[in-house]
Amino acid sequence: MAQEQEFKVAVLPCNGIGRLVSTVVRLAGYKIRAMRPDQVVLLSSGRLAVKEPEHLAAFERYPVLVIDGCRPRCASFMCDELGKAPAARLYVADVAAQRRLPIAGEKRRGLTEKGRRLVDALAERAVEEIDRIIADEMLSAL
Amino acid sequence: MAEKVCLQPCLGLRKEAVLARQALYVVHEDMMPDQTVLGCGPALNANVQEDVDFIALYPVLSVEACELDCAAKLIQKKGERAARTLRIPELVRELGVSIEALPEEHIDTDDPAVQAVAARIAEHARELLSQP
Repeated sequence: MAQEQEFKVAVLPCNGIGRLVSTVVRLAGYKIRAMRPDQVVLLSSGRLAVKEPEHLAAFERYPVLVIDGCRPRCASFMCDELGKAPAARLYVADVAAQRRLPIAGEKRRGLTEKGRRLVDALAERAVEEIDRIIADEMLSAL
Repeated sequence: MAEKVCLQPCLGLRKEAVLARQALYVVHEDMMPDQTVLGCGPALNANVQEDVDFIALYPVLSVEACELDCAAKLIQKKGERAARTLRIPELVRELGVSIEALPEEHIDTDDPAVQAVAARIAEHARELLSQP
């Protein structure tokens, strides 16, 4: 009997703390998981940086969507460091520009409605990528 | 004596990590802005100079959400050692804070649990500052 295939995407948000966009990325990660609970494995950058076995296994097993908050693109760095090309990358500034969602005046310790609009937009954009990646995986398996 | 303390959270996804993150904003922004720096794990891992400097220049207080101690391990990965490690599960037990009662993904910094954890972290940071 053929083994049942599992089509999932590992989502790696940078989950930083230093900048306002860190909060946007972190909250988008939870939202993405809530929007696609059966397709998303949400990775912790903290665990992956020290190669925690469970996280490393998920990272290696599934295609990875990387979400970078700020310019050093630390989640992308982590992917490169671990030797895996991501299936897709998102950068918060790109989504903010595309959707014309400025977040000046927001605070990293907690977002208002203005900041949450960018969280929503980022999550929606991520889900588009997740659906595309899974469709690609499914069609490639036929 | 050290000039500042580097606060280095694990930045995990679980509730304890969110509590730590929010408490560290309170410590760094409200309680000890001139005596602490906030270390960003993914930036440190990516060798962002500011974060590399933080752990080289200042004693590091790692704040962990669980027994995996990912923040302390990351500091070791970068060739330094945490001066002290605090684990949120132990801290909340001492403080009588109920983790179960806290929201999952975001905790307001005004929440009494965040304030209590922040005060305790600040005590540890001050102790590190007072050490020769």
